[in-house]
Amino acid sequence: MLLRASSEQEGLNYDLNAVTSLSRDPGVPHGEMLRRLAEAAIQGDWLGLAELRPHAEQVMGAQQVVDALTVAAAFNGITRVADATGIPLDDNTAQTTQDMRADTGITQFSYQAKSARYD
Amino acid sequence: MARLRPPDIFNTLPEHFSWTAGGHMYAQTSLLRDNLQDAHREAWRKIGQPGAFLSAAERVDVVRTAREALTCLYCAERKAALSPNAVEGEHTTDSQLAPEVIDMIHRLRTDPGRLTHAWFTRVTQVISQPTYVEIVSLVTTSVIIDTLHNALGFGLPALPLPATGQPTGEQNPQVVDDGAWVPILDVHKAMADTGLPVVPNIARALGLVPSALDLFFGTFRPHYALKEIPLSISQSQAEFVAARVSAMNECFY
Repeated sequence: MLLRASSEQEGLNYDLNAVTSLSRDPGVPHGEMLRRLAEAAIQGDWLGLAELRPHAEQVMGAQQVVDALTVAAAFNGITRVADATGIPLDDNTAQTTQDMRADTGITQFSYQAKSARYD
Repeated sequence: MARLRPPDIFNTLPEHFSWTAGGHMYAQTSLLRDNLQDAHREAWRKIGQPGAFLSAAERVDVVRTAREALTCLYCAERKAALSPNAVEGEHTTDSQLAPEVIDMIHRLRTDPGRLTHAWFTRVTQVISQPTYVEIVSLVTTSVIIDTLHNALGFGLPALPLPATGQPTGEQNPQVVDDGAWVPILDVHKAMADTGLPVVPNIARALGLVPSALDLFFGTFRPHYALKEIPLSISQSQAEFVAARVSAMNECFY
């Protein structure tokens, strides 16, 4: 939802499906490099990331690479807070993102869906 | 008891954390901002202190156990299975914590996207909900710090030396059942111009234990903001990274 809000504020049209579909271009500046950095960090591919960082610094800038990884690290933690506490969507988000969640496949991550799959 | 202040992940309220430097977590010159480095040092110092329900030694052991989960063969086998309940085994561990707590920490570290309410119920039949919240805060805080260290090629910081003393026993009585697995911080539900509440549910999630809430969001806060993000990347770039990480971790929120 926040990516959609950013898209509207910046007057650009980002592809929200790129969050879950690797074949889609998000349309965000340096989107593909951001994706590669985030994925290496979350998968714990430290050797791959060590090789990727210098290339990313040339493309994006060194400070931007550090800041992208700063955000990735934060969300590697906060997603676990959400997952471990079963925190529900905020009311407004639940009401306004139904179609987006279905389109992007995020609905499969709901607590009910996980319980049905894994318990 | 004073009303617990919600964490300011919007970066719109005055500073309320004391960013006291301690130790040499970031000895190398880096492009990390000073307030982030100070926040990480302060988190590490707090982890080494007695908590609300765990001793300092137990808190440090929680972080150490979270790290060892990444090389646990049972966790790797379970992560590869179609269902986490499809395999049985024993964790690779030197932890002194209870087996149920070790399993909780390993799952939260290695397979967070497949936690369920039934799993949570089983865990909290063994440990209290406030203790559960304290452990969640410790693991998730260490995930942030360790992920960033590894991602930047720094290597992991040495664990803090545990202090002596007893747990405080402090928990927040001003919590409510609002649909989460645990009671969460009771707040007024005003809306912000981001389309989210001024205090979104995620910022209420650890509210049962004030020190747990403070530890996690004291660490998280310099990493991100919901608007006017104080980083060199744009808000949309930050949101794309955040959304991709959330999808990889199969996080619904």
